[in-house]
This record gives sequence, structure tokens and C-alpha cells, in this order.
Amino acid sequence: MHIRRFDRGYTRRKFLADASRGVLATGVLAPLWDVLAAEGEMTSAYPDELLSLDAYTQGRIKTGDEIHAGNVEFVKDLLEPIRYEQILNQGRRLKTTRTTTDLMRLSPWEYIEATLSNRGKARFDERGNVVTADGQPWIGGNPFPDPKTGLELFAAQTLSWGRHDSSFYAFEVQDVDVSGKVNFDYAGGWAELHPVARVSLSPKPYWEKHKDKLRFQSVFFLEPHQYRGTSFLNIWPYDHKTFPQLYGYIPEFRRIRQHPTDQRFEPLLPGTTMYLSDAWAAGDPLNTWGNYRIVGRGPFLAAISDGWNPDEADWRHGTHGGPKGDSFWDTTVELVPEAIVVEAEPTMFPRAPISKKRVWFDARNQVVIGMVTYDRRGQPFRSFDGAYSLYERGDKKVMDGAHPYWSWTHVIASDIQSGGITRLQQVRQLENSHFSGANQDDLYDRYLTQSALLRLGGA
Amino acid sequence: MRANMHRACVCFFGVATVMSGAAWGQAKGSLFGIDYATSGYLRTDIAINTNDDPNPYNQFGDPFNQVTVTRTPGNPGLPVDGLPILAPILREGLPFSVPLGVLTDEIQRPQKTVTNLFNYNVLRWEQQLELRFSSALRFVGQLRGIYNLREYDDDFDARDFRNDQGMIEGGVPELYHGKPNHYDYRVDGDDHPQMFEITGRDYFVDFPALLLEYSKGPVTVRAGNQRIAWGQALFFRVMDKVDALDLRRHLILDRALEEYSDERVPSLGLRVTSQVASTVVADAFVKKFQPSVLPNPNTPYNVIPTQFTVHDMYAEGGYDDEVNYGLRLKGDYGYWGWQAMAIRRFNDAGVFRWTETGVDKDLPNDNLLGTILNTYCATVLNAGTGCGPLLAQTAFEVAPTPVSVVSADEWFWYAADVRLGGISALNAAIDEFPAAQQILARSVGDDFERAHRELSAFFQASGGLRGHIARDYYQEDVFGLGASYVTETDEPGSFFNQIIFNLEVAYTPDRAFTPLNLSQRPLRSDETEIAFVAEKYHRFTSGFPATYLVFQAMHKTESDLFGRHLSGYGGEAVKGRNTEKAIASGVDGGATYVAFAFLQPWPAYIWELSAAVLADVRGGVLVQPGLKWKPSGAFTVEGFYNYIDGTTWNDNPNDSTLSTADFMNEFTMRFTYQF
Repeated sequence: MHIRRFDRGYTRRKFLADASRGVLATGVLAPLWDVLAAEGEMTSAYPDELLSLDAYTQGRIKTGDEIHAGNVEFVKDLLEPIRYEQILNQGRRLKTTRTTTDLMRLSPWEYIEATLSNRGKARFDERGNVVTADGQPWIGGNPFPDPKTGLELFAAQTLSWGRHDSSFYAFEVQDVDVSGKVNFDYAGGWAELHPVARVSLSPKPYWEKHKDKLRFQSVFFLEPHQYRGTSFLNIWPYDHKTFPQLYGYIPEFRRIRQHPTDQRFEPLLPGTTMYLSDAWAAGDPLNTWGNYRIVGRGPFLAAISDGWNPDEADWRHGTHGGPKGDSFWDTTVELVPEAIVVEAEPTMFPRAPISKKRVWFDARNQVVIGMVTYDRRGQPFRSFDGAYSLYERGDKKVMDGAHPYWSWTHVIASDIQSGGITRLQQVRQLENSHFSGANQDDLYDRYLTQSALLRLGGA
Repeated sequence: MRANMHRACVCFFGVATVMSGAAWGQAKGSLFGIDYATSGYLRTDIAINTNDDPNPYNQFGDPFNQVTVTRTPGNPGLPVDGLPILAPILREGLPFSVPLGVLTDEIQRPQKTVTNLFNYNVLRWEQQLELRFSSALRFVGQLRGIYNLREYDDDFDARDFRNDQGMIEGGVPELYHGKPNHYDYRVDGDDHPQMFEITGRDYFVDFPALLLEYSKGPVTVRAGNQRIAWGQALFFRVMDKVDALDLRRHLILDRALEEYSDERVPSLGLRVTSQVASTVVADAFVKKFQPSVLPNPNTPYNVIPTQFTVHDMYAEGGYDDEVNYGLRLKGDYGYWGWQAMAIRRFNDAGVFRWTETGVDKDLPNDNLLGTILNTYCATVLNAGTGCGPLLAQTAFEVAPTPVSVVSADEWFWYAADVRLGGISALNAAIDEFPAAQQILARSVGDDFERAHRELSAFFQASGGLRGHIARDYYQEDVFGLGASYVTETDEPGSFFNQIIFNLEVAYTPDRAFTPLNLSQRPLRSDETEIAFVAEKYHRFTSGFPATYLVFQAMHKTESDLFGRHLSGYGGEAVKGRNTEKAIASGVDGGATYVAFAFLQPWPAYIWELSAAVLADVRGGVLVQPGLKWKPSGAFTVEGFYNYIDGTTWNDNPNDSTLSTADFMNEFTMRFTYQF
């Protein structure tokens, strides 16, 4: 029997009281990660009103209902301003589902196991790098599952974007202008691989000869024709303040050339509103940003589960809303009991077009569930809301080793000032050659070397 | 074999066209278990000429058209074999030393000058087809089709100039005997030297890529028709020695930031690339040798004076059976990197020399000198009705006045302009062709006036001569080394952070160049080429995306950007009576070029402003501002202007490499629809 004596005001008072004391202790009724470690789920860490949308809205919106312009007022406090605006005035709708309480459904299985087993072993060294007690690179999982600072939350996010040792995402991007017209349509692949903090792929936890690197990451484009073969390879040093090395294959040049890498606020391709810096809300080395600070806590509506669409052969998502009914992904959200809101500033980028970013982390698994960036005048600039899911629905599932695949499914990036929207989704495959998935053996040779770049670069 | 390959090429073209036509645009799927993906674009390119002066290398742009020049012949050499005592004087000292004033005449090239509004006006289609047989094996085919929408020099036709001297007879008929031929690539003895293309006077279809790719682990193997580029330097081809350039379409006047994207000549070959260590990539190739393709006579960007007939010896010289091969290693270690290469190749630029015309045509008998020489050939040398059989064994063809060189001054002007030696070329054309000596031509040492009189004599006697030159290719070894460094500063946003420096050096021992005298023996010298590149991507304001900036410099010790030996520089020629100043003096200190380019996108990259500047330190600039608009994924509009000046801070255009392209000022618009 779950405790019902804590009313809606209790949690608000609790979050405010913690904030006034300058402490972060996740969980309301009990320390969240103590509960998760002991019970594998988080019900006893939160009161009812944070575990059910019905309870939170006092029955005005029931789990399974759709949030739309007519009822969005009841959950206004659970949304960033841009999502609220899109629902109220642009026809955006959100389906709702019940809150996920099982910890093992909130991240890749091995990542969670490593998080639990390595809990308490991480620290920052004098350079600001996350290291083990004996000063070695991190060994796997979330180094700060019970975060006390914004920096710890961002450190975990920057250390492992996709939470797999290696991942490949076949993706499609559509850019929708303010009139609702899809102006740009791109398709390509994104690969990332960690030579450290490995929990699935051997050797573990380090690929010894690349122990000085944090990740290999590449992105390439297959469509449209003009950009087919455009590909970039980033090699991240482990040092959290050093910029990655960037190699690119531009079809016109027909060869791989090294590119400058400190400009990270540039659209990768025409029409898109996403920067390299925006990747996973932590696209830059950790210490090239600064002034990390927690600015808020509270419940939030986010797409954490049920976001995979196995009904479509390639997992594509439906769209709705906007002037032409094509502006927003069909999205299912759940009530996140506790989101931690962190702000950070691009201290190493004096001429960045943004002055700060505000990022919402889910306190249960510390994944990023929302981001708003602000321009130099401090006005909201762009907003990002993504969706994650375990790739499992009924008897349909995609396996990652012994467990179902966990990953992101789609992202909406909204340019608040221009009204443009960039939609990004993970698809099953592109051209029967590039398949989404995690921990593939051949990812390094296929996507993450200069030789691979030449191959991806077309002929 | 070659014919079979060409038939196979045509067959594939048909299949690909049908497939692409059926798909018409971007399509992907699976057919008979093979996955396919195809995409492409249509583009119109329109280049509007903004120059007052037309192309001087074409008939309608010859600077001597309707310019009156005076021809005063000299006394010819004499057949003095029987007079050994007098021979040295008569053969070497006396000939053409006495002006025959009584024979002085004035001549105008009876040719109009035409300035075209459009240099380039084409419809272009590119389609790519990929077939994937397995995760390791795929086929890539690229089809490129171009149709010339508008004639250039459309009322020029060599056949119109037929007269008593006949018409142009030597050379490949498709190139020299009719209207301007924009796209046919012909060499002596082979109508299809590039097996993967189908061309006509106004259309061009080829397969820039037609290959199978197999990859396993870190190794990738590509077999088939393909292009390869090496080196970090853009535009300056120090390490980029694998492929030749095809200059038939828009010469090198496309957007500078596209580099040689449309110009690289594909060729049949095998390429193996392997990540041999985590920091080192090895890249090796063996490719069939394909030379650079020069624009055809009387086409917009032709750079060989049309009074020459070129005999490309690619096929007859057996070069079409030759292969190039090479290896490159490239290592990257964070801030530092290096590369090294070695290539054995046939230099695609080729080497030109005088060659026999094979054209048996007597001198016209409508002038005194012609009549005398014909009579001499017929009666003394028993050559038939005149000098035709002997002229066939020389480098000169008697041709109608409008399509030939008709004066010594024109000869010297062009010699200086194309960086050849006006006198030495005359001497070599005589000394190395005994038949020329039989018809009383004599080399004249370095005596400009005698050379002028001798040329005047033979131009008067012939009514006009066309020079025949052969293009040969020589094998060479190129060794290259390069190093790169990326700066890193602690100051956030510093301009000096993340500048990428690259230094590339290539050394070619005993390289063959076109000799100034067009002798049968190439000019040989060791050449060193050095390129320095500094690239930066810098955000100047928070309101605009970062600006891409690149500075480059190149130094070559022996030749210019186009491969012409520097000893041919420095001739000061005028469009009138020339003097010995017209003779190339050469320049010391090598050739040095600097280039700067930037690319400034607007937010969201819908607009892009770019500019590129290339300067020859001896004078001359190419400035190319451009603007690109991409309103949607399907449409792109581009406009760019090419301003070229060969005398920016030098008085003599023949001191600057860029004067060769001085006439190419033009504004280009492109409209692309992508499907």
C-alpha cells in the first residue's frame, strides 16, 4: 500500500526547501538511488501525485488520454514554455502513458548494472576529468547516479551519450518551416564508440591502445544527392577540456581533410536548426562549458517509454500538427516524478550565438529529457524535446545482446524565434546497409576510421 | 578490345538510363535481392561573358584580325652543297639577312572578330546508382550528361574558308575541319581514348564513377573507373598527382571552393585503402594512364592557338597501354600529422613538339615567292608540281589565310603569349626537319630580324601556315612529404586557436617539359613544388555562423601553375611590328602563387557568400566573389563572377601566369533541381 498522505503541496514544498538549502537529494520520500538500488524500482521514493498523471491533475487528465489545446492548462507546469505554446496554438498533441517505475527499463541493462556496481567510485581530478579513485579513466555506467551538482549530471551525460559501448543510428531529418512545409529532407548515419568505460564490448573497461580517448564518433549523409557522401569523423580525447579532432570528407574535394573543430554552433547542413554542440545536449567537451548550476527540480512530462514504433517496418513515426499537419512527431509522454533542471554557459565560446542552455534531467536515470537554449540577449532561442524507449512492445522487440535495445527514438528541435522545426528520428535501416543498433562488433572499421570515412564518402 | 569496352560502355549507358528514367529521381529499394539507391540532379549553367576582348586563341578572337601588318621577306637560303668554301656563309650567315624591300606587302587577317555573349550555357544531368550485393560488396555508377544549349562562335565553320589553297586538311577532322566541337575528345588513331564517355559536338555523357567496392575490416578495395585526390592543399596540386584534369567543360572556372570536382579525369584502376594502424592510413592505386583533356579549337575556353593543329600521340605513341601507380601513407597524431607519397606516373600535361604535317599541298602560285619556290621544288628537287611533298615532311601546312598564321608579327606575338621561343621554335622547325631546309628555309641563330624576314617570306609564299605539333607523355617519379599542425591556445575564442597548418612538398627528378623551341627533345629539369595551407573556421559575431577562411601559397621551381616552363616567360610582344623584346627571356626564382578564400554562411545556411582570390606574385589576379541561395532541399541557385587580370601590377602580361586567362571574365549562374 503506497503512502497517500502527502498532498500536492508537499512535494512542491520539499523541492523548494531543498533548493533554498542548496542541496540536491533526489527522491521525495526516500533517497531515490538508495531505493532504486535496493528495490529496482522507485515507487517508494515518491508520493502518488508524482507517480500518476491522474493523481497529479486530480483526474482531469487520465493516463492514456491525449494532451491537447483544451486541457494543456492542467499540465502547464510540467512543460517547457515552447511545448506548451505548440500544444496551445499549433495543434501539437501528446499521448500519455503510465510512469515507468522499473529501473531496468530506463537505460541499457549493462549500463544500469555498471552504474550500480561502480557507484561511489568516481571523482573529478585536478583537470576536471572524471576518473576512478586511482586516477584512471572512468570504468562504466553512470559515475554520479546520485548527483549533487549540475556538473555531475553533465559529466555523466558527456561521458556516455547513447549509454552503449557503441551505437549506430540510422537517422532521418526533416526541416519544417513556419508555414508547415518540409523544406529539407536528409538521411544519414551516426556512429559512436567508447574506448573507455566499456561495459558490454571486450576488452572492458578499456580498449587499452585508445585509453586516452573518450569516443570515436562519425556522422555521414546519404540523402539528398548533393550531400551524399559528406561525412565527418570526430575523435574525442579523454581530457574533458580538449576539443576533438575533426576529419571530413567533402564530396567536391574527394579526399579526407582535417577540419577546425572549435566552432560548434554551426548548422551541420542547410536548413537544420541543430548544431554539433546540441548533440545529446552535451555535444562539446565538458569543461568547455561552465557555470553549471541546478536551477530547479520538479515533475515533468517527457517521452521516456513507448516511443518505439514497430508497426512501421523502418520504425518511422507519424506526424501531426502545424499548418500542414506535418510539424510534430506523434509522441507518447509520461509523468516524470522528478526532473532536475540545470543551466550551463558556453564559457569557452565567447561568440557563441547562445548565452546559456537549460537542461532537464530525469532524476531516475539522469537522461536528458528537454533542453532550451537562450540567445545572447537571454531570450529563449531553441527548444529540444526527445523521446527514449525500450525497443519492445508486446512480442515485438529488438535485441541488444541478451536484453531489449534501449535508445532514443525521435527528437524535435524548435527554433522559437523563427518558428522553424527540425524533426529527427531513428530508423531501422538505410539502404539495407546501415542498421541502427548497439554494440556491433564491426562499428570501428565500418564507420570510425579515416579509411571508413573514405568508403562512406562515396565514389 | 577498346571497341568492345566502348560498346559495353554504351550498353551500360542504355541500361542506366532506362533504370534512372524509370526511377526518375531519388529512389531506393530492392530488386532481385539486390538493393539499389539512385538520386541525381538537373542543373543549368549559364556563363555570361563580360569581357570586351574575345578569346585570342580562337579564329574569331585573333588579335591580328583586320590589323594591318607589314611583311618584308628576306633572301632565302641557297642550295650550296656544291660550294663547300662558301657554304658556311651562304647557309648560316647570309640567308634572310637582306630585306627584299621590293616584295614588301601589307596584310590583314581577313577575319572578323566576334564577341560572344555566352561562354557557357549547358543543361547538366547527374545521376548516381548504387547497387549493394552484400554488406561488403557494392557497385557505384555515376552518370554525367551535358548538353550545350547554345552555340559559341556559331557562325564559324572551317569549311567556309576553303579557297585556292584548299582548306584545313591536317589533324582530326572532327576537331579542325568544321564548326567548333565542344565535347569530342579525339586523339590521332583513336576516336575513343576515354572509354567511358560518349560525346558529340554539343553533348557529353560519361561515367565519372563506375566501380565495384569490396570492404572487409579496415581494408577497402575499389576496382573500376574512378577518381582519386590526395593532399590537403586545395587547387594547388602538389600532392594531388593521381588524376588528370578534363578542361572541356568550364575549364577551371567553377566555384573555387569546389576545387576540381568536375574536372578530375576518371580512369580505370584499382585502389586499395587500409587503416594499417589506428593512426595511419595507407592508400595505393594502379590506374590506366589518362592524360589531361584540353578544350578543343574555337571553343570558349580554348588555350591553344587554333593556328596549331595538335596531334595527340596518346594512342599512336602507345601511352594508352600505360599505367600509373603510387602509394600514400598518412598519419595523424592529434595536433600533428604527416603524409608521404611516391608515384610513378606519366605526366598528364604532356609535352609538345613540332611534327610532320603529312599534308601534301603546294604553295599557292598567286604570288611571286610561292611561284618561285614551287618551281624550284618541281624542277630542282623533282618534288612533283611544287613544294607540297616536301611541306608534308615539315611542321607546316599551307592553309587558307583566315585560319592560319600570316605574319611574322602574329607568330612572335603568339610565341610570347604561349610561353615559347619565337626564334628558337623557328630554328627547330627547320633544323629538325630536313625537308624544310630543302625548300630553302634556314635556321637563323638568335637574329630576330632575319627570323622576321624568313617568316615573312614563307607566310607570303604560302598565304598562311598552320603549325603541326605532337603531344607526347613522359613517365616521371614524384615523391612527396607533408606535415600538418593544429594550433591550440588557452584563450577562449582566440583567432589563433585551431588553425590548421599544412606544408606539402613534392619533388620530381628529371621532369619533362615542353621545350621552348618545340624540339623533339623535351626540356628536362628537376622540379620541386611546395604548398603551404592555413585554414581557420572562425566566428566573428554571435549573430552569424562561423566563417571559413583559407590561405594558401605555392611555389614551383621550374614551371607555372599550368605546367609551362618558366624559361618561356618574359616575351614582350605587341599587336604590330614586334622586336626582339618578343623573345622569351625567362624568369628566375620560380613561380609563386598565393590564394585566399572565405565562405560566410548566413544563419541556417540558406545563403552563402564566398570569395576566392588567386594571385601570381609577378602580377595578375583571379577574383571570384559568389553567392549561393538554397531555399529548400530541392533547389539551389548560385551566382559567381570570375574577374581575371593578367597585368594587375606588371606591365608585361607574359610575366604573369594568369594573363593566359585574361579574357575569361564572366558571370556564371547555376540553377539546380535535385531529385
